[in-house]
Amino acid sequence: MFRKGDKVVIYRQSSDESWEGHMDQYVGLHGIVTDPDTAKNDPDALIEVSLQDKGTHRFPQDCLKLLDEA
Amino acid sequence: MSEQKCPVHQTLSSLMGMLQSERLSHPKSRRIAEEIRDLLQDVAWGRAGDDHLNALRSLAEDLSGIADFQGTAGIPDLIRESLETHREVFQSHIDTHNCRSGDCVRLVPAPCQMACPSGIDVPTYVNLIAQGRDDEAVAVIRKDNPFPWVCGLVCTRPCEFMCVRGRIDKPVAIKTLKAFAAERALSDRRYVNPPKAPDTGKRVAVIGAGPGGMTAAYYLTLNGYRVTVFEALSVAGGMMMLGIPRYRLPREVIDREVGMLEDLGVTFRFEVRFGKDFRLGDLKSQGFDAVFLGIGAHRAFRLNIEGEKDFPQVTDAIELLRRVALGDRRLPGKRAVIIGGGNVAIDAARTCLRLGSDAVTIAYRRTRAEMPADIEEVEHAEDEGIRILFLTIPKAVLGEPGKVTGLQCLSATLIRKEDGDRLFPVPVPDSDFVLEADVIIPAIGQQVDQECLNDVDELKWTRRRTIHANTVSMETSIPGVFAGGDAVSGPATVVEAIGAGKRAAEAIHRYLSGIPQPFMPPVPVRRRRVPWLEIPASTKMTLKRPEMPLLNIERRRTTFQQVELGFSEAAAREEARRCLRCDICLRCGNCVEVCREKIGVNALEFGFLDFDHPGHTDFRITAERCILCGACAANCPNDAIKIVDRSDERMLSYCGTILNREKLEYCETCGAVLGPRRFLEYTKNRIQEIKPAVSSQKRCDACARKESARTHADHLPV
Repeated sequence: MFRKGDKVVIYRQSSDESWEGHMDQYVGLHGIVTDPDTAKNDPDALIEVSLQDKGTHRFPQDCLKLLDEA
Repeated sequence: MSEQKCPVHQTLSSLMGMLQSERLSHPKSRRIAEEIRDLLQDVAWGRAGDDHLNALRSLAEDLSGIADFQGTAGIPDLIRESLETHREVFQSHIDTHNCRSGDCVRLVPAPCQMACPSGIDVPTYVNLIAQGRDDEAVAVIRKDNPFPWVCGLVCTRPCEFMCVRGRIDKPVAIKTLKAFAAERALSDRRYVNPPKAPDTGKRVAVIGAGPGGMTAAYYLTLNGYRVTVFEALSVAGGMMMLGIPRYRLPREVIDREVGMLEDLGVTFRFEVRFGKDFRLGDLKSQGFDAVFLGIGAHRAFRLNIEGEKDFPQVTDAIELLRRVALGDRRLPGKRAVIIGGGNVAIDAARTCLRLGSDAVTIAYRRTRAEMPADIEEVEHAEDEGIRILFLTIPKAVLGEPGKVTGLQCLSATLIRKEDGDRLFPVPVPDSDFVLEADVIIPAIGQQVDQECLNDVDELKWTRRRTIHANTVSMETSIPGVFAGGDAVSGPATVVEAIGAGKRAAEAIHRYLSGIPQPFMPPVPVRRRRVPWLEIPASTKMTLKRPEMPLLNIERRRTTFQQVELGFSEAAAREEARRCLRCDICLRCGNCVEVCREKIGVNALEFGFLDFDHPGHTDFRITAERCILCGACAANCPNDAIKIVDRSDERMLSYCGTILNREKLEYCETCGAVLGPRRFLEYTKNRIQEIKPAVSSQKRCDACARKESARTHADHLPV
């Protein structure tokens, strides 16, 4: 479960349908969770992450890891 | 940084010069030249796709065929020659999104701007506010977001999470400063619309007057399109109006900013329901050239528990908030139970309290640690007297015919499943209990209402029941139909919807102009480069982020008055001065490295440079150690660090923060500047071994040479 303000890394591509071609370049980047699922912590929800120098995007959670665990 | 100029940057600069000279008088040639400019900007900003180079060449050919010889002279040749000579460089910009020369990345925005889903030039507007230029700040914001006041009150502020100042103490209060500037500019009657482009004659339909739809409408209208917004309700605003309670976002704020859109020329048609009063096919026959679907996600999930459908007093949170937003102030029930742990649950609970409920309880099935609502919102709710029951699972709605009496619940415990780290609530056996209630309000999330698009077979949907759209161009599976906001992302934030609306407006413009769509998401645009403000290091370090003044608790519990009262003028101006100007400092660390490794002084304690593991920062320490040699300034690629002599002092500053200043020493013979004392001592010590001091007098090199020559002549035989 990701919380607002968590530092995360995109450690792999996702096979989720929401993963678009241009997102491949984000693998390996670090960022901060800025809008997790604020309704019910759905692990399947797309969550908003601000990537360092690469903008804010929504990602499926299976490609994210907390930075401390990476 | 390489000395070689980037050909992409040079080509773009040359073209911009030609466009600004206004010698392109023929409308068609001007339009084609502007399309070439757009494509070149895509390449320069790393967002071009595979078709861009061919499209550029093709447009250059089109331009050379127009009989506007004087005007177009040079442009087709400029493009052709650049592409032929430097094709690999152009291709590299497209493939790698990088510019080796550094010319194009000079436009790299600050982290706060990059983080903003609508790409607002944060450092520029914050520093304009610091200078008291609120109307200019609002004009800068509205280049990327037509709702500065709304976002100033309700934005989830990704910018503040990325704010570099947050690595030192607390992030700059960017959101609140935005609201301050918008309020001031409106009050001063200086909140104005920018001029529109000439009419294109083309029409665009926008379905839904939410933040995404209205943003698309705003930027399309600015671009010369005739836009009609269709809205099912009698008011504009979408989730801003219906989902956010008035104590967080007063209606006047929405109405004023929507009014600006109407003034600009956006047409609104209220109380027409898409899918019922008109359908997608009707819009084409009415002459619309493109459509934007911003229908939101307004349909609530159901609890699927016994008794849920049996009582009129079971009403979902979105329906309650919608009713109240439209003016209903009736008491929902003396004892209200809200089910859920998200922001909507908190909003519903606080709304019930303001409507007069005596006892308001939130039932959430996990613990406080897992609660998805914002911590501040939860704290505000508890301050106001709302009770939160954790580890509570709803089981059944209880009641008499036509009347709810309570909610049967089970206590829960959290267990961790073997294959994951997520905690799941599991009912505790025989733990049933009843929460007495007169109204039960489920708040467990929303989804897109697909009914209005049931007849559109060609429209693709995702497995999350959202409209399938490319998140860069917002194109759906139907040509000419674009979508954005919650309908695409699922329930998200206002500023994300605004960003999507802005991207869609550009994509629609490209679609209607025959320009290829970008492959990469847009890189935010630096709107201005405002000069920095000088501030002493001690002030920069000691300025603290102000606390937000709040409405007193009695009024909060009984009225829908705005809870957050905003900053005073003095607090806002001071807060804006805390900005570090990351639009100028690229945080490359050259300054720290050269000072520590080459000079051996280590006077720059800039721990904020590291994103992952920020260290200690103190600008005041520089004055204790710095020798004012200027090596840091000489190695700064973006002129963030400056060393200047001013009157009788040498001064070192970092983006306006004065790190060190010291009196200058002068040549005792000719009066030339020698440098500050510490610097002279440093150089004297460094060269001591190879050149012992011949005299204790302070002399410049020229005078020392003259003196040495005279002594030499006096004492040695010719």
